[in-house]
Amino acid sequence: MRGKPVRALAALTAIVLASAGLAGCGAKQEAGGGGETKKEPYRIGVVVSLTGTYAGLGTPEKQAMEMERDRINAEGGVNGHPIELIFEDDATDPAKAAAAATKLIDQDGVIAIIGATGTAQTMAMRSEIQRAGVPQVSMAGGSVITDQFDPLVFQTPWPNRVVVPFVLKAIAKKGYTKIALISDTGGFGKDGHDIIVKEAPAAGITIVADETFNPGDTDVSSQLTKIRAANPDAVLMWNAGKEAALVAKGMKQLGMKQPLFGGHGNARKEFIEGAGDAAEGFVFAAGKILIPEAYGTGTEAYKVATDFIESFNAKYGKAPDTFAGHAHDALMIVVDALRRVEGEVTPAKLRDAIEQTKGLVGVGGTFTFSSTDHNGLSESDIVLYRVENGAWVLDER
Amino acid sequence: MTSADVLQFVASGLQNGAIYALVALGFTLVFASTGIINFAQGEFYMLGGMLVAAGVAAGVPLGVSVAGAVVITSAVGCLIERAVLRPVRSAGPLALIIITIGCSMLLKSWIRHLFGPDERAVPPFSGSEPVALAGALIQPQVLWVLGITVVAAAGLTVLYRWTRLGLAMRACSISHDAARIVGIDTARVVMLSFGLSGALGALAGAVVAPITQTAYDVGARMGLKGFAAAVLGGLGDPVGAIVGGLVLGLLESGAVAVVSGTYKDAVALVVLLLVLVLRPQGIIGRHLGEKL
Repeated sequence: MRGKPVRALAALTAIVLASAGLAGCGAKQEAGGGGETKKEPYRIGVVVSLTGTYAGLGTPEKQAMEMERDRINAEGGVNGHPIELIFEDDATDPAKAAAAATKLIDQDGVIAIIGATGTAQTMAMRSEIQRAGVPQVSMAGGSVITDQFDPLVFQTPWPNRVVVPFVLKAIAKKGYTKIALISDTGGFGKDGHDIIVKEAPAAGITIVADETFNPGDTDVSSQLTKIRAANPDAVLMWNAGKEAALVAKGMKQLGMKQPLFGGHGNARKEFIEGAGDAAEGFVFAAGKILIPEAYGTGTEAYKVATDFIESFNAKYGKAPDTFAGHAHDALMIVVDALRRVEGEVTPAKLRDAIEQTKGLVGVGGTFTFSSTDHNGLSESDIVLYRVENGAWVLDER
Repeated sequence: MTSADVLQFVASGLQNGAIYALVALGFTLVFASTGIINFAQGEFYMLGGMLVAAGVAAGVPLGVSVAGAVVITSAVGCLIERAVLRPVRSAGPLALIIITIGCSMLLKSWIRHLFGPDERAVPPFSGSEPVALAGALIQPQVLWVLGITVVAAAGLTVLYRWTRLGLAMRACSISHDAARIVGIDTARVVMLSFGLSGALGALAGAVVAPITQTAYDVGARMGLKGFAAAVLGGLGDPVGAIVGGLVLGLLESGAVAVVSGTYKDAVALVVLLLVLVLRPQGIIGRHLGEKL
């Protein structure tokens, strides 16, 4: 054998490696109900990213739902039916998310699907959702999920179209008018990027540099060098992954003194740990769960959130993040709707009941859906945080 | 674009290139002595970073953690060769290559199971205040990356040129049968090359982790980059691995500077394809045509 077959072999194996690496290991866990209830369980499918880029988001989501499921079943279930959650890992891969939806619908016969963790994964499931007419409650923050409206699809996090204007207004209020934007090319980052570009003029903000990086990149200093050359007043990053720490550290490395802003994708302790002192002064918008006092002590939301935080802490030995909160809310929305369905539960009746959700107090905010609004959250459900001495504090504006 | 900016792009390219070079060296070592591509090489890189992170988190001093990670990963490399590949070595290179892919998935799942899916931070080896180098600002850790790459390259060159083990490795790369006839324990040489590639990968992962953080899933991507660098420079040639790594890093940085971060990977891959078409043996590769 001469050189050519060797290289063909190498190319082939490279392709195999790439697909294997992206796919990860499809860990499938089935989880039954807890209590010994007589009635048939309500089967709900859950698609989360337990491996891949969003593993750090999907894992707390699964934990939160397992905890809530056990609590609900211990309290006797819903209308006497236990809740059964069937978890599928999409490995942060849209194609796998679609396959998981097919499996949940055709093999498991679920009445609703919660998921996915990511925006692209959520969108990839849509044709399956439409084919089967099963309601879907997504935990991903991309606006596109509810902008490309579908009667079957609901969303628990604050979408970018709510968070972006809030952050832009905060930046303008602090007196910065020339900003540089750095976003990732994943679903969430791209969605945010497009909305930032669209909304910036309304907030009186000019974007002087617009850079991107790919999820999984290990260096962004070239992008930051271009941003430094554009000399902005402030830098706004929009992503939801571990690259955020690279941006903060890279700015420090390049001697950039501009303040750094971000969105709800950066509300992770791992960001502060990874960026170290480069995270100091980072300002970002996220839900109130990070500091429950933001809800206002004595409110129902404060009680819901602190209860959730306490039981999560007791069970897993760590505080829940915003992503765990979105999962809590997603399950709660489905369960609340199930309680209101009269007679035998069908996916169609469940969808109607979910749409009628009104004033449901969750961790991410108070949900009121309508036939045109399947997210139901507003700017009043998010607040501004600042990183100070390695921890989150409320940023008083 | 000022000259300081250009220098910054070059510095960033060299930093990433040095990392790719270290991973590429691992590919090259194994390829030279066995003729197969070890696709678990990226996972050695991941293991290095994750084991250091775990060691530091458990209170072990940083230096000891790094040494421990290198030794353990090296042992894992030897183990993969001895326990998984050697028993089926008559199956042919394609089967062996696919087995290494299996090993990489196993390692990845195992680490995710042990340490969870979240990224982990590792403290820098020496301070985090940026230093100026010929007009470019870099993190002190980058000096470690560059230094270790140079030391590793020099060490390998010495090993290959002037030691009996290196001689044996080169003999194996020419012909296993002939090497056995002159009395070389080829099985041992192959195992050692796996161990050494494990050590190199772990060293790369450990020295980079303070810059990038690390996680259970960083291996596949870095494996692909390192493989691309090795092919670019010329598979089986240590100098080629270094050149290939640095060229790939500079290409990526240049792609960001001139085009956009979105197309960084694409630009690098297109250049890789061009090189393979125009100069299939890699930039400075020589032996590939005679291999196998």
